[in-house]
Amino acid sequence: MKTAALLALCLLGPSPVWADARPSGELTVALSSFATEVLDPVLGGHGVKFYLALIFDYLIGVTPDGQLSPDLGIATAWEPSADHKRWTFTLRRGVRFHNGDELTSSDVKWSLLRAISKRSTTGYAGVLRALLQDIETPAPDRVVIVTKEPTLVIPPYLSRALSSEGMILPRKYVEAVGDDMFAQKPIGSGPYRFVEQVTGSHVKLEAVERHWRLGTPKYRIVTFRVVPEEATRMAMVRRGDVDVADVSRDRVREMERAGFPVYYRNNDALLHLWWILPWDRVPVRDKRVREALNLAIDRREIAATIFGGKAEPAGVPFGLTWGFRDVRWRNAETDQYPFDPARARKLLAEAGYPRGFPISIFAYQLPALPEGKEMAEAVSGYWQKIGVQPKLIPVDYPAFRKQWVDRAAPGAVGYYNLPNRDWIGTYTLLEKFAHTPSKPTDTVADPEIDGMLEAILRETDREKINVFMRRIFARLRSEHYGVPLVYLHTPYVTSKRIAHWNPGSVMLDLNIDELAAQR
Amino acid sequence: MARFLLTRLIQSVATLVLLSLVIFVLARATGDPLTLILPMVATEEDFANARRYLGLDQPLHVQYLMFVGKAAAGDFGTSIRARRPVIELLRQRLPSSLALGAFSMAVSLLIAFPLGVLAAVRKGTALDTGAKIVAALGQALPTFWVGIVLIEIVAGRLQWLPAGGNDSPAHYILPGFTLGWFVIAGLMRLLRSSMLEVLDSDYVKTARAKGAGEPAVVWRHALKNALIPVVTFAGVYFAILVTTAIVVETVFAWPGMGRLAYEAITARDFPVIQAVVLVTAVIVVAVNLVVDSLYACIDPRIRIDPRRP
Repeated sequence: MKTAALLALCLLGPSPVWADARPSGELTVALSSFATEVLDPVLGGHGVKFYLALIFDYLIGVTPDGQLSPDLGIATAWEPSADHKRWTFTLRRGVRFHNGDELTSSDVKWSLLRAISKRSTTGYAGVLRALLQDIETPAPDRVVIVTKEPTLVIPPYLSRALSSEGMILPRKYVEAVGDDMFAQKPIGSGPYRFVEQVTGSHVKLEAVERHWRLGTPKYRIVTFRVVPEEATRMAMVRRGDVDVADVSRDRVREMERAGFPVYYRNNDALLHLWWILPWDRVPVRDKRVREALNLAIDRREIAATIFGGKAEPAGVPFGLTWGFRDVRWRNAETDQYPFDPARARKLLAEAGYPRGFPISIFAYQLPALPEGKEMAEAVSGYWQKIGVQPKLIPVDYPAFRKQWVDRAAPGAVGYYNLPNRDWIGTYTLLEKFAHTPSKPTDTVADPEIDGMLEAILRETDREKINVFMRRIFARLRSEHYGVPLVYLHTPYVTSKRIAHWNPGSVMLDLNIDELAAQR
Repeated sequence: MARFLLTRLIQSVATLVLLSLVIFVLARATGDPLTLILPMVATEEDFANARRYLGLDQPLHVQYLMFVGKAAAGDFGTSIRARRPVIELLRQRLPSSLALGAFSMAVSLLIAFPLGVLAAVRKGTALDTGAKIVAALGQALPTFWVGIVLIEIVAGRLQWLPAGGNDSPAHYILPGFTLGWFVIAGLMRLLRSSMLEVLDSDYVKTARAKGAGEPAVVWRHALKNALIPVVTFAGVYFAILVTTAIVVETVFAWPGMGRLAYEAITARDFPVIQAVVLVTAVIVVAVNLVVDSLYACIDPRIRIDPRRP
């Protein structure tokens, strides 16, 4: 009898993982900064996507490498009309918010309108506001987004690949409790529900059992802690108090030697320098001067010394590599600037500056770039060797930004560690940095690039968009519109119990989903 | 005594009003907070919307009057960075700082009192020399260095105590000691010199001549008078521990007022900066008032004579 019962059990086969497994234990992620510490996606949620993406679902999900996926978002399918002015999204059925309400097209419409409202400070609210004409909800599982112009960009804009505009919020709950209460006690439909937040300390989330996206999460609790001091973060990792922590590039080896796994977000950011516009009265108006300033820098040495080998030389201004694969840009070795001070001096002489010229370099620290000032000093040193007379101006970033947007220091140099992103992210960045009508944040004044950027927004043939994007990259490189310095790899150290983790290549995301998922 | 307290109270209110104006102007001189909050790709329209939404588009004098009017009612506005009421942030952070301040002050008093008294009584001995070394190190070593060394060794290598956070009583030990060492040094030196002065006074000699035992002379007769400057010092330092432990709170990831101030300053979070400074000032003023009152209680000779003009 016993044997028969056992045989019957075996024949029934293994039960689904979520049927008997329950989330247990705690995963703690310690980061040096939380940027904004908000819980409402429209109040600057782009900076804290790494925890908001566990509380909320996106309309369009993405794979860890940033490809749009019908399996990982609320929309299971989407398609444009023939004129590319109406995008129809089919919504996943049976998704519930943490309070039990069912997620419907009404929530999607309301969330998108809220994300582009004037109260919103998300990354792309302004662009979407200009683009959207109407949102229709013909059925509880259907949403139609109507745009003013034909476009291909709606799905990526509302996906996890970019900012937080695509996060779906519970309309009834927010309307019942009000915006302020929602911003303190948010409810979403993601695999983790919000438990508590102590600002400056932590955000604690609790697993939802049997979630459509992750199944049954592995950890019952996921806590994100703010631990600004690196020595403290590393001690917490050593003691087992923390499972994942960001670590500086110069401390990686020590943690690896102690046996702690280190994972990288490779090419996480492009460290890019630019000259403040307008250029009409400064030496960098001459293409030869811009090329000379690029050739004078030994990028390999900077990558090896200042960034401890955790960086790669870059060759294309605004050349964000995660977008290269989408548009099939060559990303070739030929794009690299050789270190050639002799040719740099020759180019300067040809341009009429045999004895160089004075140039100001603003030197400041940025989040995730503690090496900022050191890098500025190094660049200054290279330029000095070809006869240029750099003057370092130590400031903080807001002070520099004022100089930049006010155009108060033409020809002076600033820099930013631009987070890497896919083609649409790159496009939105170029629209702000290389599009003349985008004053005052423009850094490139080139009518040819302006025209191509404007054409892309209206283009509905993806291959033609790719051609435009490739032509833009080529023009940025051939005209030397900026100094692309290095691609930065961002290391994260984990406790020894984390067997595997791919931090992914989605902008401002950490793919905590993979750690939280049942394996 | 009542007149003394009333005078102090009026002075305190005037100080707070002046301070509110100074901090309002200085905070805004540091730059635009929106550059740190809005994404890099934000348009000028986004900036204008956010400025309007946060009330930063109003003329400065209007902003100031709104701030003062609301602050008087306990409303410090909304944090630009955390987008939550500032009063709520203070409610979260102040108890943490008070708890850490109280813990480190208790540790300081427990160590400094016996050490200071014994160093004075056994002047010139090895114990006195040891106490002086402890004091010198406590005042010479920067707190951030002490904190990081303790974290690296005690938490990181030996793994005896937690390094960051405030989850359990064990979390208090390292930041409490780091914060308290400087105070131990100051208290102990002060108590030692004060005790030496009192032990040499006539009334102590009289007590000894009357046959009082040495412990009674030291702990009952001498210590009470030696405490006067120590109480003032301890009071002021308690206020400082609670309100300005920026370095220790940052190093130990302690979610207190010091961290809040640091985060607000780096993010140009004007409402929070203003609130933290005002609350700090209120705490310092209140502690000073309490200390002044205690001072008068301990030594009746220095109470203010109400008949004096």
